[in-house]
Amino acid sequence: MDAFVNRFKGSSTFLADEISMLDGFGSYDAVKEFSQPVFEIPAVQNANCTDEKSDSECRIKIEHGTTTLAFKFQGGIIVAVDSRASAGNYIASQTVKKVIEINPYLLGTMAGGAADCQFWQRELGRHCRLYELRNKERISVAAASKLLANMVYPYKRMGISMGTMVTGWDKTGPNLFYVDSDGSRYKNDVFSVGSGATFAYGVLDSGLDYELSTNDAIELGRRSIYQATYRDAASGGSVRIYHVEKEGWKFIGLYDVGKLHWEYCGL
Amino acid sequence: MNPVDFYNETLTSVPTEHGFYPYESNGGTALAIAGEDFCVVASDTRQSNGYLINARYAPKAFKMSEKAVLANSVFAADGNALVRRLTQRIQWYKHSHEKEISITALAQLVSNTLYYKRFFPFYTQVLLGGIDESGAGVVYSFDPVGSYGLEVCRANGTASALIQPFLDNQVEFKNVQFDDKPRMTLDRAICIAKDAFTSATERDIYTGDHLEIFIIKQDGITIESYPLKKD
Amino acid sequence: MFLTRSEYDRGVNTFSPEGRLFQVEYAIEAIKLGSTAVGIQTSEGVVLAVEKRVTSPLLVSSSIEKIMEIDTHLGCAMSGLTADSRTMIDHARVEAQNHHFTYNEKIKVESVTQAVCDLALRFGESAHGEESIMSRPFGVALLIAGVDEKGPQLYHADPSGTFMQYDAKAIGSGSEGAQTELQEEYDKSISLVNAETLSLKVLKQVMEEKLNNTNVQLASITPEHGFRIYSEEELQVVIDRL
Repeated sequence: MDAFVNRFKGSSTFLADEISMLDGFGSYDAVKEFSQPVFEIPAVQNANCTDEKSDSECRIKIEHGTTTLAFKFQGGIIVAVDSRASAGNYIASQTVKKVIEINPYLLGTMAGGAADCQFWQRELGRHCRLYELRNKERISVAAASKLLANMVYPYKRMGISMGTMVTGWDKTGPNLFYVDSDGSRYKNDVFSVGSGATFAYGVLDSGLDYELSTNDAIELGRRSIYQATYRDAASGGSVRIYHVEKEGWKFIGLYDVGKLHWEYCGL
Repeated sequence: MNPVDFYNETLTSVPTEHGFYPYESNGGTALAIAGEDFCVVASDTRQSNGYLINARYAPKAFKMSEKAVLANSVFAADGNALVRRLTQRIQWYKHSHEKEISITALAQLVSNTLYYKRFFPFYTQVLLGGIDESGAGVVYSFDPVGSYGLEVCRANGTASALIQPFLDNQVEFKNVQFDDKPRMTLDRAICIAKDAFTSATERDIYTGDHLEIFIIKQDGITIESYPLKKD
Repeated sequence: MFLTRSEYDRGVNTFSPEGRLFQVEYAIEAIKLGSTAVGIQTSEGVVLAVEKRVTSPLLVSSSIEKIMEIDTHLGCAMSGLTADSRTMIDHARVEAQNHHFTYNEKIKVESVTQAVCDLALRFGESAHGEESIMSRPFGVALLIAGVDEKGPQLYHADPSGTFMQYDAKAIGSGSEGAQTELQEEYDKSISLVNAETLSLKVLKQVMEEKLNNTNVQLASITPEHGFRIYSEEELQVVIDRL
């Protein structure tokens, strides 16, 4: 990190990322593209003006708030997410895609900073494709999730916020990992991430069974997200569900929470 | 005491607080509506700072290509810097690939350009409206650090909370209980844009002066201008 | 022996008085030692075919790799010092992925060819701001084939960094005979199936060994299936048509 800050130190006539555009031959690295403030500004460097935790008066509101979940069962993995993005107390969008299709056999979920998740999982997709071309076989989910964790780790405590689940099917079968911007990376059979995760866990844990049929598993995922949107103000919109199978992931559907509410009321 | 000494004395004896505030909000509103084969991008032209109106004609929407218009809101300096940077990248693209950039490619470029300033962001909310490769109208909206998505309609800026609910109701018919929802025509989109801005001007101090509507169609972009209240 | 060439062929960065860069010209000569590779463009896709020199019965022929994938819509055949092509192919792959990363679209065939050719002249002492990657010119020529919005295309890139588009092109030791044959047989309206046959027919004529399904490699790039290397069984089907 010091090397990369030093590279641009003292030059205020060039925009840092414009310099690296010119010497990007072959050795492209998203990391090099970042421009840092070229002068020392405590206010900017500490909080980046975007981190809500370290600066409650932060002016740049970026999109936050989520419920996402994923769990393993006999038929693979179910991934279910809500679709609300809130910036402060304003609902910025009800139609966010919080499942990121890294490639046809890897999925990532989005919690925390929307841009952080989108950008780094896109960068992960690029790495995975190059891995595949160079090694003539797909990357394992374990390796892919570790790539992601290692990519964001250098930015720890710089304001990046990302809580993601990386899922997919590789040689070893279905795999599910949790990766976040603090540097954590865990493997488990069930995860839920985001402000509504506790509510989702309540439903999910009570109904979880490895032997669940695919339809029952999809229903469990949908119900869990629905209940989270009911209690968590920062979650809502629609429930989006994916099923990870041997042949890759499959999009199951998008269910408006407004309609689900009446369905679950028995109306 | 001679004036110079007095000056030095008062300057050095007063404790000074150092701080750097790189951002400000210049207000203003932008909206975009996508139709089947057109797109409308509208924005007001007022630029303010607190209660002071800096300029009555400071456009926030810019033509980026023959098929795409980009509208900024919030901090004008960052918005303009972003547009200049993108204009250069679009030109580079044209030279190295011998074709005009498509709106899908431009959307990804905007997202990455915003994210590369993740640690010193452009304080701007971006709307990108235009026609895609298949000829359909599209709207992309971006947060200050580049998260983006495809939308049907979107309002950004100081009056966004006033206009977005109106658009949700009139364009997307969200939670509206009838079946024969009218098709979005260009005339209707322009009417909605005008109504949205005249209404927002009544209730938002940062919106007003002039309304600029960019109409993007397969055969090119036209700009219409309408007066808004100046108070 | 090379009286007229005097001493000007010793350095990679010195022009001769006649205005020639001998090391680059010698690099182009190096390709003529390589195995023959053929590319044919049709309206349905592009075909790439290469000869593998199986010099010993103990050699595992599947380990000879002279056609490589750059991206789903791009492939590449090579001739000459194939080890040199590793750097170039990897560069092409990275460029293709970077383009997709930045613009969310597939890179054009011409753009990826240009990117590879940008590497070709980065030998010798490094210029300002650019790191040189090789002490000498690359000793390999590439046939870069792909499909983009302009349709199927075939490009030839040589060690001087020049690239040109071809309907059909042969490189390597048998290139002269093969190119003449291609000129006689090629027709703008040729089908992909006929191009497969023609490519092997041309290779068969210039190869010393008898052509079989282990000493040639065949690949196609089509809008439907993208880049695809033919299996030995598929190859046998084409050979049977000869």
